[in-house]
Amino acid sequence: MTERKTGTISVDLSIPVQADLVVLARLAAATLASRAGFGVEDIEDLRLAVEELCLSLVGSREHGRLHLSYECEGDAIEVACWYEDDHAVDSARLVRADDLSLRILDALVDEHGRGLRDGRAGAWLRKRRSDRVV
Amino acid sequence: MLTDDAPRQGEETKALFFELAASRDPAVRDRLVTAHLGLAHQLARRYLNRGEPYEDLVQVASLAIVKSVDRFDPDRGIEFTTFATRTVIGELKRHFRDKGWAVRAPRRVQELYLELGRATETLSQQLGRSPTVSELAASTGATEEAVLEALEAGQGYRTSSIDATGRNEETIGSHIGGEDASLGTIEDRELLAPALAALAPREQLILQLRFAHGLTQSEIAARVGISQMHVSRLLAASLKRLRSSVAEAGSTQSGGQAQPAQPERQSTRPSGREGRAASSSRAARERDGEVGGAAAR
Repeated sequence: MTERKTGTISVDLSIPVQADLVVLARLAAATLASRAGFGVEDIEDLRLAVEELCLSLVGSREHGRLHLSYECEGDAIEVACWYEDDHAVDSARLVRADDLSLRILDALVDEHGRGLRDGRAGAWLRKRRSDRVV
Repeated sequence: MLTDDAPRQGEETKALFFELAASRDPAVRDRLVTAHLGLAHQLARRYLNRGEPYEDLVQVASLAIVKSVDRFDPDRGIEFTTFATRTVIGELKRHFRDKGWAVRAPRRVQELYLELGRATETLSQQLGRSPTVSELAASTGATEEAVLEALEAGQGYRTSSIDATGRNEETIGSHIGGEDASLGTIEDRELLAPALAALAPREQLILQLRFAHGLTQSEIAARVGISQMHVSRLLAASLKRLRSSVAEAGSTQSGGQAQPAQPERQSTRPSGREGRAASSSRAARERDGEVGGAAAR
C-alpha cells in the first residue's frame, strides 16, 4: 500500500460560476484524495461527484459564486458546496436536486445531502477510500 | 406528478425482474431494457461536450442498460435504477478512458495519459486493486502533480456550457419504471420500428445482437462470419440510417416539438431520497449545524 499522509486537512475554495472553472473544484478534491491514498478509480468517482454537486446547485446559471470546503480526515473526504448570488435566487428550489443528480451521487459516493445555510443553497458529499478489488 | 407514480413504477419493475428470473422470457427482458433506455439517454446527456458524439454515448449507455438488466438481482434490495446508474456511469467512464480525448491537452500530457492507462492496467493486476496516484507516479517516473493533471485532462470533462446538463429536458421519472410511464421510450420505439424494418436483415441482426443481446463486436463478427472491423462499419452505418430516419419521422410526427418540460416534482419527494445518513465527523457536525437542520438526509 502506498504511503498516506495523515492528519486532518481543511481547504476552502471560492470560484465564480463558470463552467471552465469547475476544474478547480475537481482538482482540489482529486489532490486531497490522492494525498489520502485513494485509488485512481475512487478519484475518478470523486471528480465526477464534485462536478455533479456543483452543477446540481447552479444549473444553467452563469453568475454568482460557489464556495467549497474540503475536509480530508483518515480514509474519507468530505466536500461541501454553497451557492451565493447577488441576484434574486429561489434557494429552496435550488436545494431540491433532480432525480438524476441524486442517482449519480448515490452511485459515486458514500453519503450526500443538501440543505440551506443562511438562506443559501448547499450540498455536500462524503467519500471513503474503498481499496476495492479490481 | 411523476414522483407520485415512482413507488408504483418501482414495484412494477421489481415484479418484472422476478418474472424474468423465473421465466428468462426474452420478451420480459426486452420490456425491461426498453423501459429504461430513457435513463441511458439521460446519463449520456450528462457527458456531452467531452468530445464524443452524443449518439456514441447513448450507444454505450444503452448497452450498459442491457448489461444491468442481465445482472440485476431483485433480491438484493436496491432499486434497479440505482444499480443501472452505477453500471452506466462505469461504462461511460471506461469509454472515455479508452477513446475520449476532448480537451486540447499538450502532447506531453496526452502521452503521459496513455502511459498511465497502461500502468493502471498493469498495477491493477499486480495489486488486485486500483493503483494510487503515487504508485502511478512511481511507475511512470512522473510527479504526482503531473499524474493528476494528465488524469484530469484525459477525462475530457465538459468545458463549454453548464447548459449542456440539460436542466430543462425530460425527467428521469418520465422514462424509468414502467412502460406506461416511459412516454419518450414508447415514442422512440414507435419511431424506430419502421426505420429498423427498412434495414437489411443482416444489419437488423447485428443491431439486435449488439444492443438486445449485449454481444461485443468481436462476438458478433464470429457469429455472423465477418471481421470485427466490418461489424463496426455496419453498425455505424445502420445507426446513422436509424438516426436519420428517426429524426425525419420525429420532426414529421411532433412538428418539431421538444419533450415535455420538466415538472416541479421534487417537492413531493420523500425526505429520505435527498441523501444518505450524515456522518459524525467535525465537518458533518459543522455542516449539520450550519444548515440549521434543513439538510436533507
